[in-house]
Amino acid sequence: MAAMSKQPGAPGGPPRPWKRPDASMSLLADLMTSDALDPGYTTAARRGEGGNGRTSSRSGAVLVLVTVVAIGLLLATAVAKVRREEPVAERHRQELVAEIESQTRQTDRLQRELVRQRRETARHRAALLAQSAAGQRTQHELSRLAFVAGETPVEGPGIQVTVDDAPERSEQESDDVISGARVLDRDLQELVNSLWAAGADAIAINGQRLTSVTAIRAAGDAILVDYRPVNPPYVVTAIGDPDTMETRFADSRAGRLFRTLESTFGIGFGVRRDEGLKLPGASALTLHYAREVRQR
Amino acid sequence: MIAAIGLAIGVTLGLVLQPDVPLWLQPYLPIAIVAALDALFGAVRATLEGVFNERVFVVSFVANTVVAALIVFLGDQLGVGSQLTTAVVVVLGIRIFSNAAAIRRDLFHA
Repeated sequence: MAAMSKQPGAPGGPPRPWKRPDASMSLLADLMTSDALDPGYTTAARRGEGGNGRTSSRSGAVLVLVTVVAIGLLLATAVAKVRREEPVAERHRQELVAEIESQTRQTDRLQRELVRQRRETARHRAALLAQSAAGQRTQHELSRLAFVAGETPVEGPGIQVTVDDAPERSEQESDDVISGARVLDRDLQELVNSLWAAGADAIAINGQRLTSVTAIRAAGDAILVDYRPVNPPYVVTAIGDPDTMETRFADSRAGRLFRTLESTFGIGFGVRRDEGLKLPGASALTLHYAREVRQR
Repeated sequence: MIAAIGLAIGVTLGLVLQPDVPLWLQPYLPIAIVAALDALFGAVRATLEGVFNERVFVVSFVANTVVAALIVFLGDQLGVGSQLTTAVVVVLGIRIFSNAAAIRRDLFHA
């Protein structure tokens, strides 16, 4: 790395030291390749100060002692701090988990209360409407519309499709199956669309009824149906003609997709027929933008 | 040898007293530790090579720590605090490693 002198052609003037082509990188190059001791020690040694075993003065030794004690204190403080904070972090995590669980229970309680109140309201309304002929017509219309919109529970024959995340560790030691694959919201959307196309009258995912305004989306790692999280295994229940639905679904995009996912990624996939499926009603629909068209 | 005893005393004191680091100092603790380790390794290597000098040791430790803390503080004000912390830690870490390698060569001739 020494600078080599090269005599320039012109006479007179000192020889210019050769500049390395990568002179601008000298900082990084020196940092990476240098093996040099802290230059302070080498210059001090060159000047003939101190050296091993020859303590130049009492104050020098005291200073070294103080500095070394300070370093020891610093290291020990850091270690103690790390040790002390481990249980605290764990305790915070436990507290957060307990908080989540209690709030979830609270939400479930409120949800059940809401369902109870709605049923109560519907009962009162039906009683009121039954008192006049026009009211009875309105009630009939209301029931019909609620049924079609998905607000009322339904039952009937159909099929049940269960999909699940791939197991963390695959039992077969095959290299073809990647472990840890997860079902995405896209996959569930494809599944539901294929079920509608196969002729389903009503669909629910893990007990959540789907309506025309229900969204299936992902938030982080979780899948949300109608803004409520659902956990795997995902059980998609569809009411319709079991024979045609099963055939059409097997030929559909989702059927092909999930068979591929099953063989490539180990995603769980199963289809089952059932004669007595029951689906709950969806929560009340509120339309924000769609307006009713007046029939003339 | 005084140094080794002093280090042991310091570590014991720290583990026994368990001083609380004030909150405003806590971001600078990591770089202070790395600077301390760098000064320590440099001192051990200098001792093994016969050129240890107390003044250089003390000044290098204090200056490294103060300068590193100032750089990180400046970085915090400018919004690049964590990046500069990384830079300081990387540079001092490289020095620690090269000093450690030299110590290994001096001790084991290998």
